Amino acid sequence: MEIKEGNVVAVLGANGAGKTTLLKAISRLLPLKSGTIKLKGENLITFPAYKLAGIGIAHIPEGRKVFSTLTVEENINLGSWGVRTTLPTKELQKAKDWVYQLFPILKDRRKQLAGTLSGGEQQMLAFGRGLVAKPKILLMDEPSLGLAPILVQEIFRVIKQIHEEEKVSILLVEQNARKALNIADYGYILETGKIVLHDSASQLKENEHVRGAYLGGKMLMDQKL
Amino acid sequence: MSEITQKITQRIFRSQSNGEAPSKRSKLQFLLLGVLIFFLILFPFLPFANNYWIDVGFFVGIYFLLGLSLNIVLGEVGLFDLGHAAFYAIGAYTTGILYSELGIPIIILLPISALLAGGFAYLVTAPIIHLRGDYLCIVTIGIGEIVRITALNNPFDLTKGANGITGIGSPDFGIFSIRTSTAFYFYIWIFLGLVVIGLINLQKSRVGRAWNYIREDEIAAEANGIDVRHFKLVAFVLGAALAGIAGNIYASKMMIISPQNFTFMESCLLFVIVLLGGLGSIPGILLGTAIVVVFPEIFRQFASYRLLFFGAILMVMMIFRPAGILPRKREAAGVRGLGIAKLPPDDDKFLDEVTKHTEEILKPVQPAKKFPLQAETNTGIKNGTVLETKQVTMQFGGLTAVSKFDISIKKGQISSLIGPNGAGKTTLFNVITGIYQPNLGNIIFMGKDITGKKPHDIISEGIARTFQNIRLFPSLTCIENVMSGPHCHARSGVFTSTLRNPAQQKEELHILQVSSYRLNQVGLWEYRNELAKNLAYGKQRLLEIARALATSPNLLILDEPSSGLNDKETEELMELLTKLIDEGLTLLLIEHDMNVVMGISDWVTVMDMGAKIAEGKPKDIYNNPKVIEAYLGKED
Amino acid sequence: MQMLLEQLLNGLTIGSFYALVAMGYTMVYGVMKLINFAHGDLFALGSYLGYTILVIGAGWITHTFGIWGGILVAIIGSMLGIGIAGLIVERIAYRPVYKAGRLPMVVSALGASIFISNGIMAVWGPRFQAYPQTSIPTGSIVLFGDIRITILKLVTILVSLGLMAAIYWIIEKTLFGAAVRATALDKDTATLMGVDFNKIILFAFFVGPALGALAGVFVGLNYTRIIFNLGWNYGLKAFTASILGGIGNIPGAMIGGLLLGLMESLFEGYVSGAWKSVFVFLILIIILIVRPTGLIGEKVAEKV
Repeated sequence: MEIKEGNVVAVLGANGAGKTTLLKAISRLLPLKSGTIKLKGENLITFPAYKLAGIGIAHIPEGRKVFSTLTVEENINLGSWGVRTTLPTKELQKAKDWVYQLFPILKDRRKQLAGTLSGGEQQMLAFGRGLVAKPKILLMDEPSLGLAPILVQEIFRVIKQIHEEEKVSILLVEQNARKALNIADYGYILETGKIVLHDSASQLKENEHVRGAYLGGKMLMDQKL
Repeated sequence: MSEITQKITQRIFRSQSNGEAPSKRSKLQFLLLGVLIFFLILFPFLPFANNYWIDVGFFVGIYFLLGLSLNIVLGEVGLFDLGHAAFYAIGAYTTGILYSELGIPIIILLPISALLAGGFAYLVTAPIIHLRGDYLCIVTIGIGEIVRITALNNPFDLTKGANGITGIGSPDFGIFSIRTSTAFYFYIWIFLGLVVIGLINLQKSRVGRAWNYIREDEIAAEANGIDVRHFKLVAFVLGAALAGIAGNIYASKMMIISPQNFTFMESCLLFVIVLLGGLGSIPGILLGTAIVVVFPEIFRQFASYRLLFFGAILMVMMIFRPAGILPRKREAAGVRGLGIAKLPPDDDKFLDEVTKHTEEILKPVQPAKKFPLQAETNTGIKNGTVLETKQVTMQFGGLTAVSKFDISIKKGQISSLIGPNGAGKTTLFNVITGIYQPNLGNIIFMGKDITGKKPHDIISEGIARTFQNIRLFPSLTCIENVMSGPHCHARSGVFTSTLRNPAQQKEELHILQVSSYRLNQVGLWEYRNELAKNLAYGKQRLLEIARALATSPNLLILDEPSSGLNDKETEELMELLTKLIDEGLTLLLIEHDMNVVMGISDWVTVMDMGAKIAEGKPKDIYNNPKVIEAYLGKED
Repeated sequence: MQMLLEQLLNGLTIGSFYALVAMGYTMVYGVMKLINFAHGDLFALGSYLGYTILVIGAGWITHTFGIWGGILVAIIGSMLGIGIAGLIVERIAYRPVYKAGRLPMVVSALGASIFISNGIMAVWGPRFQAYPQTSIPTGSIVLFGDIRITILKLVTILVSLGLMAAIYWIIEKTLFGAAVRATALDKDTATLMGVDFNKIILFAFFVGPALGALAGVFVGLNYTRIIFNLGWNYGLKAFTASILGGIGNIPGAMIGGLLLGLMESLFEGYVSGAWKSVFVFLILIIILIVRPTGLIGEKVAEKV
């Protein structure tokens, strides 16, 4: 798999296809059996997981995973932990202000415990928390999961915004294929851990096989139904 | 003399297996056992064996008994009991107090000590038996301390405080009494002989297996029809009773007992014995006892450092050999080692017989009911509907996971439940199988309302399930795993299992027959003696299905059965599932692999955000715009 | 009235010991979900280490630094030593068995506990040892009315509370503390934030035992006599305190400890000294049955 600088790459596929496993492997939370992960030519295998936040990779995990008994503010502040020694305080403060600008509701709820936020607000918090470190690469795992349509719109609007304004490269794992392909440049379709299809997003959007991959797999692609 | 011993060993041997020529391994085992028994009998008569060493032999016996008693709780069931000395103390003090105050003969006090210790165990563990491992451990320490301090504080002047009770008598059988070191030595070891036989019988029975299932995975055990709470309590009570007996015998030998004999360190020592030897391994525990008791005697200068040594050993063992020095070798014991009598000499011949008599074997067994059958409100299947949920709602805090869900499963069909991630499918399954209680709504199975029943009762009703993340019993063999299925339809308890009466043996044979059939049905017969954890992932899935089938269900619920299977394995799975329908089973699946859903389902229900959004035949679902939207997202 | 206040002061004293030890339990539990059985024994080791420093250095230390200086040296020495001991225990008893599962970890912890307590016995002997009289300050001051309190007890309470407050501040008010709490909640996600789990473990296994060591030295100074299995009794009660406050919750452990100390002292004063341990253990059992999340309750954040 390849992610070109500044691109949004969508990773699609049915449940159990291995999308979350892929992201966890890139984040070094899961060990690799074989293969390599290279960031600008440098092999990431030598890095332990906790170092990735410091070199510009942010992973926004599936299911939001906010720290529920910490306040919103503490969650956001923790987002800067990985870069607390590499970025000057002024920069960090600017980054935090920027996140509060992107998600004004987080500013309102700064002192609230993260677990008391609604699903959509928690997603925004998880998102914002990942952005504080000003990452160059964003790994997003199913940001639309369990959210009402209007919130999904909002999340995707922000994804588009930071992609265009900050030139962040994004690897987006999504079940909502249409929304993902709308903002992606390129897409990969996974099935039982393997890439079965990849193409530019515009091509994939027209492709009947995408529906097959979700709702009937190989059998249907072979017109067996 | 040797003829008699030969006859005895043969008799014991035959009761453990099936009368045919023993294998090389069991030949070796029996040789060793013979040597051991020989040594034990001769020991007091050996030249160096003065009273001191005979007493050491006695203490090995007492600690072996205590080790066996703790093993039931810790080794078989896996409950961390660090206060076991409390039960030992209760037995000893019961004997001491009742003898001193009321003059009751020591030999009568033996069963009384067992009863009181067991009763005490029931009273204190019943309220806390549900606690998780670490917490249970701490509470048992607390209980141990409470008993010791109570003895120390001399309430009602019964326990006589720090100096303890003195002048305790000896066991008197009328014609002779047990007073000398040699007499006590044979007293404890003969008693142990009976205990060991009884415990081995128990190990190789439905009760012993239930204990092991609980140790391996409590949730899976409960979900497979094992009444976990009951068996945990039984283990504690039995363990306490045996410890109480040890207390009685100890008290009558020493004639003096005091709180010092029953400290936390005693409980630790017992813990070390069981862990050193090997959880659940009776020979291991004998070895552990020998090491713990005899080593400090041999190396007298280090005796006071023995606990230091054992503490270090525990740490080292957990790194290198956590299973103990002599762990129980289930794979080697195999089907023969299950202790079921009258098996044909060849496992495969056994399987042949089973396959020939399948219908008879699979005939539905009357579910085990403690009370006479009440008038059945079960009106059976109505209009071919096996399972129905009505407006089932499940909420966790503020989140509604399942919302007013209605589903209807028809007999003899394969129904699939699909939906995007987080839709609530597994939650619904958990409600149906009793793991959660729904906030609203009912579940009707075969015409009977089963809402709110516990998981192990639901198995008895006829619903079996598998889990999304496979929950097998990893350190048990495949056949043992499957044998948990028929457990809920059998009845043998501790007494019949210890005595191995014909009715219990018949039941055990039936359990093996059903399990062998099911294991073979999923194609895993050749792996029957393999440990479940050593199986490849795809085969583990099949094993879980075999286990569920062995409960003889009417409805089988499978949670993502094809997850992690490759193409070939998925095809084999689909074949198996279709065959099961021919047998008269009804299936309900959660599936994400659409090949499976579309390929074999008769009916598909789609769930999203906790609610039903569509249902119909597979083809209709595939073309349903609402379903497409749920999966692929809305058109902008 | 006099007796009540005396008992309350006693309760506060012993309560702060329970609190200090309980904080160590809770810290390790929060991060590793493991009850560190060896923790109580590290507390005892701390007491013995303080004793050794005072006995060996007695003349010289008191001569150079004065009696309070001596105490300070003993405290610092013991805290450092036991902090290191805690790290060693983690290295030897826990790290090698993480992968082996729950039971091996508990057993290894138990093994470590048995080893340390018997190690103390091997080195310092099975009999009571007493903190040297020359190192224990005398003198008392008036609190109010005719209630007197020894200076030692006053210092004990103040220093203990002070350290508890410091730890509270670190955990609840600093970013590092947030990292510790986050790790306890969700280790993987904290790693994604860049938190090095190993550093968190170092913190928990150094600071926790060090706090226990402080309590150990104070126990020696206040009650004079110490014995090798001191850790076991205190450890169990401190564990009860952490359960009282909700395990994994550091402020809860502090409050739980103080509360338990007060309850035990009042029981001892008004009911019976011989049964006070039974009283404490019964509290433990009842709480686990009735309210396992503790009196303070685990901080559970739910959407209203």
